Amino acid sequence: MMSAWLDERLERRGLERADLFIWPLGLAVAVLWALPFVWMVSTSFKFPSDVMTRDIEWLPRRVTLDNYIKVFDYPVIRWGFNSVVQATLSTFLCVLFGAMAGYALARMRFPGRDALFYIFLASLMIPTEVSVIPLLLGFIKMGWASTYQALILPSIGNVFSVYIFRQFFMSFPKELEEAAKMDGAGPFNLFFCIALPLARAPAIAASVIIFTLNWNNFLWPLLVTFDESMKTLPVGVAAFTPVVGTRTQIEGFSVAMAAVTILSVPSLLLFCFLQRYFIQGLSQGGVKQ
Amino acid sequence: MLVAQIIATGLPWPRRYADIEMTTATLQGSSDFGPEPRQTDRVGYLLVAFFALPFFLFNILPVLFGFYVSFTRWSIVGSPKWVGFDNFSKAFHDQWVGVAFKNVLFYGLIIVPCVTGFGLLFALFVNKRYPLSGLARTLFFAPTVVSATVIGLVWVWMLDTQYGLVNYYLSFLGFHDIPWLTSTQWSLIGVSIASVWWDLGLAFVLFLAALQDIPGEIVEAARVDGANRWQRFKHVILPHLRPVISMVVTLQLISTLRIFSQVYVMTNGGPASSSSSPIHYIYNLAIVRNLFGYAAAVSLMLFALILVITAVQRIFLRERA
Repeated sequence: MMSAWLDERLERRGLERADLFIWPLGLAVAVLWALPFVWMVSTSFKFPSDVMTRDIEWLPRRVTLDNYIKVFDYPVIRWGFNSVVQATLSTFLCVLFGAMAGYALARMRFPGRDALFYIFLASLMIPTEVSVIPLLLGFIKMGWASTYQALILPSIGNVFSVYIFRQFFMSFPKELEEAAKMDGAGPFNLFFCIALPLARAPAIAASVIIFTLNWNNFLWPLLVTFDESMKTLPVGVAAFTPVVGTRTQIEGFSVAMAAVTILSVPSLLLFCFLQRYFIQGLSQGGVKQ
Repeated sequence: MLVAQIIATGLPWPRRYADIEMTTATLQGSSDFGPEPRQTDRVGYLLVAFFALPFFLFNILPVLFGFYVSFTRWSIVGSPKWVGFDNFSKAFHDQWVGVAFKNVLFYGLIIVPCVTGFGLLFALFVNKRYPLSGLARTLFFAPTVVSATVIGLVWVWMLDTQYGLVNYYLSFLGFHDIPWLTSTQWSLIGVSIASVWWDLGLAFVLFLAALQDIPGEIVEAARVDGANRWQRFKHVILPHLRPVISMVVTLQLISTLRIFSQVYVMTNGGPASSSSSPIHYIYNLAIVRNLFGYAAAVSLMLFALILVITAVQRIFLRERA
């Protein structure tokens, strides 16, 4: 009687009895997967004496903001500023230039166009690590180490941006362009006033993904910043690992976790609100309208 | 790291595979100008130039320059000295190069199967559209969007020998005080655990996209015919996933060959280089020991390894298709 009712309910959802076990199990794994984040935040609000102990408190009994204040003993504001400048400027330039190039490659005819696109695609085979050492050498020789141009310039040429926009403009309705042409719009007007405003979806997808990439960028900023004051947030905060015999060891992990919480908030927020764009952009390489 | 992983391999991801073929065909069709003679859009060059200039200057030129650098002895001060193949022959006899490349193979052996297996499992779960599976999707993907510093520090804390959460719960199972990051035996495994947590999201999303492309009717038909869960997976779903599995394995393998940030943050390659990786060694050569020519040579060797793996995988993929 009961089981017939149950089977019917399950059937309606396209489920089987086994799903009754799989569902909670899967959810449990998902929660487990997020626990390191919970532990990170929890630790960041604890007193240092409550951290280095075997009494595991998921919800701290007593809470303090001291760790967050101590984080600011380090030049985190400066690092944060550097990170914001680096990530926003290079993302903005990469997306804008990528949109222009993607539009030209999809909508215009000129000799060498296809060759150019294939070079862009082929360059994807080269891991950044190959160019990083010579690039560093070049920047040092130019006296550009530890500068904003060093942080920004190499991340403009991200082909992902061109690719995503080209994909979008390939299926862009011709009629719109032709109507504008009839009204006497030049190619620049056509791009900036007609095409670009309509490319919001790929622009958002490219922006969130490239921004996250730039915000998290580690190897290049680590290599090219010799001055403490020019470090980016991920590179600066990486030094918070407690080291035996130093101040950080006494503070333990509470300050480190506070710093890391601050660092992860922008990317996690961006991801939570724009998740759709993230996942679509990544799994399709282009966002359909 | 996220897109860089896809980008750096140049492998088209599943749905786009057809598109690339298609656009290639369209492009070839459109390059012999159609019946209506059309003018060259000179503005096109200008529009592309804004992107192409930084691209060639900072992404392509350094690679070419790197070939030259790898044949020289070059430090920050002073001028380069041509040494021919010295750097390469030195690298083949350098025991630390051997250690770094050996370590990276172990990283691959641990990380690649874990990421592929768990990524697929998680995707299968989320694809079922249970209640709350949207939340599960968010949680599975979240670690992928944070930086290596976050991953590294969180896991250094999680894996702390004395007070870490992992050892605390393992102690109930009878395992006591595993020195995850401080012993030569465990450090590589400790870093791998963090890497799996970080990297899984991308594999998961790619699998999920591929699963959603499988027409529901096929699976439903198999179910009506009485195929059980395992049979449906093995005979209906898995054949559809072959290309994407092979792609995820390659992507993950390549991204693991380039493992650096988490190593740097968590163990700095130690203890005694037991968790070092090629990129970590290259970093040390350039920054700590100021041997730019040698560092460039080792990075070219890594590049060669990555190219070989990509090529092997491409041939493999083509045969399957």
